[in-house]
Amino acid sequence: MRISSLLNEDGILLKSKPKSKEEVINTLVECHFRLGNLNDKDSFRKAVLEREASTSTGIGGGMAIPHAMTEAVKRPAITAMTVEDGVDFKSLDGKPVNLIFMIAMPNDGKQHMNLLSHLATLMMDKSLFSSLTAVETPAEFIDFIDKLEDKLFPDEASENPEPLEENKGYKILAVTACPMGISHTYMAAEALEKTAKEMHYSIKVETNGSAGAANVLTDEEIEKAEVIIIAADKNVDMERFNGKRVFITSVTDGLRKPKETIKAALSNKELYKYKGDTSGSEYISKPSIPMHETIAHKCYKHLMSGVSYMLPFAIGGGILHALSYFLDMIMLGNSALDFGVFGTGTQVSAFLNTLGEYAFQCMIPIFSGYIAMSIADRPGLAIGAVGGLMANIGMTFTNPQGGVSSGFIGALLAGFFAGIFMWFLERLCSHIPKSIAGIKSVLIYPVAGMIVIGFVMGAINPFASLLNEYLMYDLNMLDGNARIMLGAVLGGMMALDMGGPLSKAAYLYGTISLTMGKYDVMAAVMAGGMTPPLGIALATTFFKSKFSDAERKSGAVNYVLGLCFITEGAIPYAAADPLAILPSCFLGSVLAGNVSMSLGCTLQVPHGGIFVIPFMGNPSGYLFAILSGSLATMLIIAVLKRREPIKKHSLDTGIFD
Amino acid sequence: MLNKKFTIISAEGLHLRTAGILANELCKYDCDSEILYKGDMINAKSLLNIMAACIKCGDEIELQCNGIDEKEAIEKAEKLIASDFNVD
Repeated sequence: MRISSLLNEDGILLKSKPKSKEEVINTLVECHFRLGNLNDKDSFRKAVLEREASTSTGIGGGMAIPHAMTEAVKRPAITAMTVEDGVDFKSLDGKPVNLIFMIAMPNDGKQHMNLLSHLATLMMDKSLFSSLTAVETPAEFIDFIDKLEDKLFPDEASENPEPLEENKGYKILAVTACPMGISHTYMAAEALEKTAKEMHYSIKVETNGSAGAANVLTDEEIEKAEVIIIAADKNVDMERFNGKRVFITSVTDGLRKPKETIKAALSNKELYKYKGDTSGSEYISKPSIPMHETIAHKCYKHLMSGVSYMLPFAIGGGILHALSYFLDMIMLGNSALDFGVFGTGTQVSAFLNTLGEYAFQCMIPIFSGYIAMSIADRPGLAIGAVGGLMANIGMTFTNPQGGVSSGFIGALLAGFFAGIFMWFLERLCSHIPKSIAGIKSVLIYPVAGMIVIGFVMGAINPFASLLNEYLMYDLNMLDGNARIMLGAVLGGMMALDMGGPLSKAAYLYGTISLTMGKYDVMAAVMAGGMTPPLGIALATTFFKSKFSDAERKSGAVNYVLGLCFITEGAIPYAAADPLAILPSCFLGSVLAGNVSMSLGCTLQVPHGGIFVIPFMGNPSGYLFAILSGSLATMLIIAVLKRREPIKKHSLDTGIFD
Repeated sequence: MLNKKFTIISAEGLHLRTAGILANELCKYDCDSEILYKGDMINAKSLLNIMAACIKCGDEIELQCNGIDEKEAIEKAEKLIASDFNVD
């Protein structure tokens, strides 16, 4: 058991001036209580005093280790105090005491023994007493002990901190969640686990991926945990964390800065308060830590919530469409190319095609509905969905039967309007007495919500459709060089932040264009996304000396990742050496997008990498585009990268293991 | 030099209280006192050293005393261990 991990900066009192042994004990007990380590303060204090009465824990040499092992203790912890002028502790050697450790242990005999003997070993070190009584800050105190433990117990460094035996508790709990839910979620989880292990904290991470939640946190674990970390880009079930110290940040920060995230989480003292069914998350006071949630990040999360629900519709619909074209090609051969009937030439393909169409139709209200739900919980869903439907049809005051669709832009606006309006409505209605509170969700929310969104959308639809027209159609109507530029830019965006907001925006644009029949944009986007991992894989193969062992091993994996259109495989390399990797990936992807667009490559499905060749237009040209981009990336890496990895410590996230 | 083997019968082993009493009493004698436990030599006059060794109930130790009053020291230790450290 690691002494330094049982200490807490708030539980270390330096240069105190207690007047008696009793005061020392009372103060340290109070400390334990404030840190949430005790089930019963008075019972614990009584146990400590009883222990003192039996034999003084003033073991001599100016040190004392009052302690108790009792059910009154929730989780093992140590508080400490230094006293400059010494205090009488009725020590075995009669001398006053300057350094006191108070150990709280839950009822578990074996651990108690090991802990005390562990501490005794530390205390045998000649420098401990003089160093600890001289430190200026609690951080220094813990740091000294940490380093001493590293020296005296080197084997411990590789030990996996076990959950606290029968207590089955963890010090840190975390939830990771990414809208795509394919890789970021799990990579962030792994980074947090590895880093916590290095810092000797026990941790359990729940992942909210595309396939649902895995390794779910139990109520017992939540109750026993000291802090909770939420590293998420979409909303996560928060009600269970009511009253705990919660630190919220993005998936990317959990992935790239796990150490800072854990440290910030441990120093965060605010208690999270869940406001019932009136909304998502709310803080009691404004968070002051820089990495905490900003409004922009919250909006991003709401948008991504909508996207993550919408994606399966887009993917399913897209593939169905593509299948219908495929079938037509097979069954009818070249005559199917009469564009009027393409995709509906045979009964089967017509069926599939229409099904795909319906999936696309569903997609828009789902998108807006879930954005609204992310902002305002359940009551938002219906309102957002109706708003999205209105946007899709293009319903306005002058054209109630619909007209020009305002598509995605309209749906996005509908989702946010609906969400924000319902959020305010919920706050307003919280004053309704509990006895008739049921009327809220049954009557007030739906009626008021729909009337309001009806008017709002009716008014803004014309403008939204203009905006939609421009973004979707006009931009997409670009020809020649401008279009090639578009392909290049989108390709580059995929590489710039590899799974972050820029690449998500490019990807979204590709997907939307696909649903409108513009397939070349999607091709350029995917080309741009496949290039970074492939380029890096090539670089680790042909320019071995530039990379460390770990990087080379993972390089082979990147071939697979690149071919599957999982750009995130490049992230660890970018994190370790951004100056060499980011420009090379960017330029390579720009090239890939450029070539893809100029060769007229098209792609009818939104994902799948190498596996969706059947759905590509001009597959050989496409492969050429990807190859040229990857080679360019590889060459630029060779030029920019120095012989050895520049920042060794950034590989500490252990993603390479 | 006088050696004697003992088995610890105290439930908590040579823990804070019991180790403290043993160390304290052994300090009253002039002779050197060491405990041989699992191949390691431990200074029996130091509470911290004994505690750090983590000697549990049922463990066997060998007490080695070397000096003028080694006989008395060993006898005292025997009494303490056998009586579960009930100091008179």
